[in-house]
Parts: sequence; structure tokens; C-alpha cells
Amino acid sequence: MRKKSVGLLTCAVLVTAVLSGCQTSENPPAAAAAPVEDARQLKKIYLVSKGFQHQFWQAVLMGAQEAADQYGVEIDFQGPDTESDIAQQVQMLSNAINHNPPAIGLAALDTEACLENINAAQAAGIPIVGFDSGVPGAPEGAIVANASTDNYAAGQLAAEETYKLIKERVAGADNGVRIGVMNQDATSESITGRGSGFTDKMKELLEADGKTVSVEGHTRWENKTANADVIIDVAVPAQVTAELSSIDAQNLLNKKDIICIYGSNQFSGEGLINGDANIGRLGQDVVGIAFDAGALIKGAVREGKLAGAVTQDPMQIGFKTVELCVKAARGEAVSDVDTGCQWYTAANMDEPKIAPNLYD
Amino acid sequence: MKKTKKRTQRLIALCALVILYIVFRLINPAFGTYATFVNIMDASYYIGLMAIGVTFAITSDGIDLSIGTVLTCSALISGSLITQYHVPVAVGLIVCILIGMAFGLLNGVMVSYMKLPPFIATLGSMMLSKGLGSIFTRAQSITWPQAGAPGGWFRQIFKINANGVLIPTGFILLIGIAAAASMLLNKTRPGRYIVSLGSNYEATRLSGVNVAKWRTLAYVISGTMAGVAGLAYASIYSTILPGGGAGFELDAIAGVVIGGTSMSGGFGTVSGTLIGVLIMSVLKTGLPFIGLQTHYQQVATGIVLVFAVFVDVINRKRKN
Repeated sequence: MRKKSVGLLTCAVLVTAVLSGCQTSENPPAAAAAPVEDARQLKKIYLVSKGFQHQFWQAVLMGAQEAADQYGVEIDFQGPDTESDIAQQVQMLSNAINHNPPAIGLAALDTEACLENINAAQAAGIPIVGFDSGVPGAPEGAIVANASTDNYAAGQLAAEETYKLIKERVAGADNGVRIGVMNQDATSESITGRGSGFTDKMKELLEADGKTVSVEGHTRWENKTANADVIIDVAVPAQVTAELSSIDAQNLLNKKDIICIYGSNQFSGEGLINGDANIGRLGQDVVGIAFDAGALIKGAVREGKLAGAVTQDPMQIGFKTVELCVKAARGEAVSDVDTGCQWYTAANMDEPKIAPNLYD
Repeated sequence: MKKTKKRTQRLIALCALVILYIVFRLINPAFGTYATFVNIMDASYYIGLMAIGVTFAITSDGIDLSIGTVLTCSALISGSLITQYHVPVAVGLIVCILIGMAFGLLNGVMVSYMKLPPFIATLGSMMLSKGLGSIFTRAQSITWPQAGAPGGWFRQIFKINANGVLIPTGFILLIGIAAAASMLLNKTRPGRYIVSLGSNYEATRLSGVNVAKWRTLAYVISGTMAGVAGLAYASIYSTILPGGGAGFELDAIAGVVIGGTSMSGGFGTVSGTLIGVLIMSVLKTGLPFIGLQTHYQQVATGIVLVFAVFVDVINRKRKN
């Protein structure tokens, strides 16, 4: 008798659970389909970044929080442990979608990996705003807008400024010379954009001067020519760790024909500085160029170890992302925003136009 | 009989190290420069220190998976205290080591008194330390003071730059700590107890030794060394990233095994560990010099590791 009543009770509990489960799954899609008029009534907006590792993202978060306060919305800013942890980011994206937010901001480490979730978001009617790297190659209509630096243009800017510094040396060289390019990875749009922008522009400028150029080092950018006057050597570490990046820099600095090295983001820039610690060629016979800021890079630019760097506008990236998310959630039309980039050196880094972007 | 076999393995490891260095140098003379030597040293400090510590845990027939994230956690929290809360650097250094010790104590208590399997216990503290560090700094990374800055004097513990001449003081520190650890493990009572309980826990317990206490000590040493390793990492790489550190422990453990310490407990060699760590550093630094990308280093380490464990297994079979 007792066993029977326990069994019945269990069944009753299970049935109730199943039924209540069925009910909740019906409500959300309806809520997502209708745009919310009043921003104050919006649920949390989820922003999935590439990680918190660099102060760059702290600045993005600051800008995002500013916009959130201005528009009266709540945001949840998340990121994986490291910029190699693609699986972790996919999990965060999946989690964000499950919360059924009015909009999602995404800076994908690898678009292909996120594809399934992006499709799910699109199906559920959740608009996705890309930021920083954005989500290149996403299916049509899934990403409503992007708030980012035009990374390719930023890479080109770096090449143009660098070219001015090395032009004479290349012209006067008897043997071949080497230009190093340090890219943190070969999958995210921001890094590959800056890497390609620099490499393509540098090749263009050198060839216009009558020099032959060979691009080597990584299959993604490879374009070999035998006996070239200039070799552009691209280095990508196996994993995004400080040690491996430092080793890449040491490897480049140890090549006799190296004249210049470019680090395409804060991570690579710091790897370059760390790698030079025992060799001491940066700022002497090797020109160093970096990206973004942070205490290490800023100090190196000020000292002259790095000739200069390209800064983005991380606070604007964060701000515009949230703004675009709010507008998209309201059903308004949105379009891409280019948050811009600037070249800074020891000479101009304290100017009012540039200084606020140089976070610590 | 076992000791001679172990000595042979250590000798083989030492020969392998020397041969590797020479081969790399022959293929690319640039590898033989003093700057490269200092680079290899720089890359070895934090792994070497962790490896010396975890040698004790492994000798006690256990494992410590938390050393990588404990390194990050201690360096993060103490670095944050220095840069954000303006705590004097000397105090920060001590706090870093103490945090490592605290986690070591936690691991020791979980394994020795709560009887949790070491793998699980240290996996738990690995995740705990990963999260705690990040919570303390609110997910921000921390950059330790630079060499020229007023707070940067601690870097001289690992490297002195006297007008362009580099002195790898960290190497002296590493050798010193290794010597002390080796003496502790092989010549003192606590060390012998750790070796004994690692070899045969029950027999050691039955002979009246307080096995729980000594086993805890093994983990405290492991955690403390992870804290010191945090200082080494901060001295060389400056920036500590929250969420970083996971994976370092595998490099350290690989070094320990290649050096000859048995994974089944009961035998530990600190000098072997040091050789194992140096082999991995030479590989890591040297492969790019001969034109191979760093993924090849991982493949090479894997092969060397499997080979080293295989030798260990053969040794034990022969003993039985």
C-alpha cells in the first residue's frame, strides 16, 4: 500500500514537472518576436566578448556600461578564459540565447564554431550585433550591424606609418631584409584583418618602390617568391599564451636580416616587448610596431622601444554595441559603425584626441 | 637495484639534454648565443619551480593539478594588492607565496584527512583558484611593475640587467631551491616519510608514522612552490591574465616524469625534475630556431613523455 502511494506521488510530481516544462517553452518565442517599445522594460542584453584578458576589453566594458546607464538597460558582459577557448565561448553564446534576451552582442573567436547557435538565435528572432571582430561569414541577416574598427584599414594604417620609418633602410640594403608580423591567431576577424591589412599594404608600397616581396611563415598568408628583396615573415603561436608569443618574437629577433616587427594586437605587442627583454634590439636596429595600449606597450612607445602603435577606440566600441543592441531590440533600423583608429607615437600620445583611448 | 636504474634514467635524461642543445646549436649557430641561453632560463623558472614542488606530491603517490591556476591566482591577487591597493612590493611577494601555501594546505587536508582522491581534490582546488583570482580582480588582468619602475626591484631576483649585461640570477635561485628540496626529500625525516608513504602507505602507517601529516606536507610544498612560481612568471612576463595558468601544470608534470620520478609514488628525484624541465625548455625555445613551429614542440614533448613513462614501467616490471 505504502509503495503504491509513493509511486503515485512520484508520478504526479513527474507529470506536473513535464506539463509545467511544456508551458514555459511556449511563452518565450512570442515575447522575442514583438519589439519592445520602452527600453526600461528590456530584459538583460548579453554581450559575449573574446575574453577579459586584456585591458582593451575592460575599456570596451566601460563604454558598454556607460551606454547601458544612458539607455537604462542591464547588460551581462561575458568572455572565455583565453582567446583560444573557442568551446567555452560557444557555451556562453548558447547560454545567452537560452535566456532569450532582446539582443546579443558577439565578438566571435571563430564564426564556424558559433554557426549553430547563430542559426538558433536567428530562428528565435534575437538580433545579434557584432563588435570588435564581429562575426564574419555569418548567415545572411543573422548579424544586424557591427560596431568595430575597420581592422583591415587599421592594419593598412600601421603599414603606411611603418613604411615611412623603414623606407630608406630597405632601399639601401645590399642583401635581403625581413619584416616580422606577429598575429595572435589565424581565425578571428580582427587579427586576420589587421595582419592582412598590414601585409597587403606593405607589399604594395614596397613593390611600388621596385622591390620584390615574399610572404612566408603561415599558410594563411603565404605567397612565396624566391630570392625576394623583402621577406614578410608571419608568426602565429600554437596557443595564445604569453610564453609562446614571446618565443615567436625571440625567433624573429634572432634572424640576422630582421629590420622591423609588427604585433597586430595588445597580446602580440606585449609578446614582442617580452621577447626582446634579453636581446635588446627593439628601438635600436629593429623597428617595433604594436596595436592597442596597456601599461607595457604605452611605456615602450614612450621610451622609444616601440616606434609607435595603432590605437582603436574601445570605449566607443562598447558604447556603440549596446546602443545598436537597444535600437535593434526596439525594431529600429541599424547599420554598421566604424569606430576608427589612430596612429600614436611618443610625440602625440598625450594629445586630447588620442590620450583617452590609451587605457592602462 | 631500483636506485641504479633510476640513476641510469637520470643520466640518460642529462645526456639527452646536452645532445639536444648541441644539435640545435649545430643546426643554427644563433641558438648558442648567451641571449638565447637567458631566454631558455627565463622560460624555465616558473615551470621549474612548479615542477620541484609537484615532485613531492607525485612522490607521495598523489598528483597536484592545481599548481598552474594557483600560480595565476597568487600572482593575480598579490599583483592586484601591489598595483591597485598600493601595498608595498615586499609584502606582495610574501602574500603571493602565502596564497600558494594556503592552497597547498587545502589540498593536503582534502587528500590526507578527508580522504579524497588526489586527482579529484586538486581538480577541485584548480577550479576554485581559477575562479577566486578572477573574482578578486573583477576579471581584470594585472601588470606587475616594470623593471625601471620603483616597484620593479623584485625582478632582480630572477634577472639583473647591469648596463646591458644579463645575469640570470633566477638560475642560481632555482638551483638553490632544487638543492634544498632535494636534501629535504632524501636526507630529512619528513622527506623520507613522504617517500615511504608514497611507496607503501599502509606499511608506513602501521609502523606508527603520522602519514596524514606528512602527506599534507607534500601538498603544502607543492602549493608553496606554485606561489613562488607566480613571482617568477610575473618577473618575466609581467601581465597575469585571469583564466590563464590552466595547462602549466601539465608542462610541470611532464618535466617531473621525464626526469625520472615515478608516477606510482615511492621515488622522487628533484635533480631529475630540473633536467626534465630544461629538456622541455630547450625543445620549446630551440625548435623555432631550426624552422619548426611550436606545435612540433608539443608533439616532441608528448613522445618524450610517453618514452619516459615506458622506461619507468619497464623498470618496475623488472623489479617484480
